[in-house]
Amino acid sequence: MSDDYLWDGSGAPDPDVQKLERLLAPLRTPPAAAPRLPARPVQWRTLRYLGPALAAAAAVLLMVSATLRTRPAAGSWTVASVAGQPRVESARLTGTGRIAVGQTLITDGGSQARLTVATIGQVTVDTNSRVRLVATGDGHHALALERGTLHALISAPPGQFVVSTPSATATDLGCAYTLHVDEDGAGYLTVTSGWVALAAHERESLVPVGASCRTDTKRGPGTPSYDDADQELKWALDEFDRADDATTRSARLKVVLEHAGPGDAVTLWHLISRVDAPDRPAVVDALAEFLAMPDGVTRDAVLALDPAALDRWWNALGLGDADWWRQLKLVSW
Amino acid sequence: MRRPRMEHALEIGRLRPVSTGARSAAKASDRGDDAAAIRAVAAGDQDAFSHLYERYVRMVHAILLGRVPRRDADDLVQDVFLIAYTRIGELRDAAAFAGWLAAIARNRATDYLRQSREQVELPDELPGGDAIEAETLAVLDAVRRLPEAYRETLLMRLVEGMSGNEIAERTGLTPASVRVNLHRGMKLLREKLGWVSHE
Repeated sequence: MSDDYLWDGSGAPDPDVQKLERLLAPLRTPPAAAPRLPARPVQWRTLRYLGPALAAAAAVLLMVSATLRTRPAAGSWTVASVAGQPRVESARLTGTGRIAVGQTLITDGGSQARLTVATIGQVTVDTNSRVRLVATGDGHHALALERGTLHALISAPPGQFVVSTPSATATDLGCAYTLHVDEDGAGYLTVTSGWVALAAHERESLVPVGASCRTDTKRGPGTPSYDDADQELKWALDEFDRADDATTRSARLKVVLEHAGPGDAVTLWHLISRVDAPDRPAVVDALAEFLAMPDGVTRDAVLALDPAALDRWWNALGLGDADWWRQLKLVSW
Repeated sequence: MRRPRMEHALEIGRLRPVSTGARSAAKASDRGDDAAAIRAVAAGDQDAFSHLYERYVRMVHAILLGRVPRRDADDLVQDVFLIAYTRIGELRDAAAFAGWLAAIARNRATDYLRQSREQVELPDELPGGDAIEAETLAVLDAVRRLPEAYRETLLMRLVEGMSGNEIAERTGLTPASVRVNLHRGMKLLREKLGWVSHE
């Protein structure tokens, strides 16, 4: 059956679409006028930078003072109920308690909890989540997010805090972020400060502030993109990450490149090593249009996926050197 | 592949576009209207604000409906437009308005859900409320479980009654992408509802 009716109501009616239209019509936007405007628009240009900076500073101060007051016992963290009655294993939590290595924190539809990550930060666990404390101590702290959502705020040298999920491992590189895991193990990371490295299945994604990245149990980390990137680019990028066949991947990549701008340099850099070889020159040339290759980096070296060349080009983004991430991996992986 | 060369601006370690290059004639016309309205709204013009509201209210409502209980979606629409008004000075490119407004709607829904978790959750259907068929709520639940791109596009088509071309025009997606979203979304929805596909 043609999609004409689904497209715009023309052509032969599709009974399923008609039934859905009838069922869903009561949910349509209720008629209402636009809200009345306040007297003057608020001038946010200054506040948008100053506000978050002050909020972040206040959060760090609160975090430091709280962690100094509540130094944890070895091998366990403080856990506090934020809403409802979260559980540590089978024990219901009211107020504060402890979670030991190996134990699982469980929240239901009406409960949330906050974990104090040793002396380096806090993790808020949203509703309907399961989080296991895997390790803590000696500059290494690890959680396993089995499902649900957590918000991490970490103030520590890069690499000390790690969250594993069924589809990728998130390594904190000095930041704040939100990580969500679906029931099927797929994940979604949004970084609100600093950056995060995602790794699995020999793939890695470096996700800076303002960007997000999907993870998939079969493929590992997807390709990061900025949250305010072109919608068409984001759609095509998701399709590219999901596609298994070269034809679809190539077609979606074409859309990505058509809609990419200088603000998408991070996305393009990741695509260099992910596209199929015949498509690689187009990606390299697209990135080179927005970001010159540093001295000593050649097009041939990049096309050959020379790690040193790729890292030096990454460094040119000004988001932080890749070198210490490589060193961190050598030590930690 | 040659694209329009863009100027660069370095902002907190990120290269950002100053100009987004060529657009289709139709979109350019619509966005030209939007650009004028956005400038007028920034100056506090209520009529221009109403114009943008009428053009985008169904898109915003569909995005919210895909994430929050339906009663709350109705209320949050107003919030989203007021947030957009207070932040409209941040918008550097009028062509990005649709995506920017959609992002505000998604973020507002996320914030709302985060806040509401500390309150008692109400069922979608309350005594004394307007009657909604159980089957309607079941279908809405199935749509909400679709991937984001399919969910939003289907809600714009099936709930808001927008045509594929309207959806493309309002969201900034190409008609081809909207067609793919509708087709795949409908296929997945049929599977979730246990309906036999007509393909």
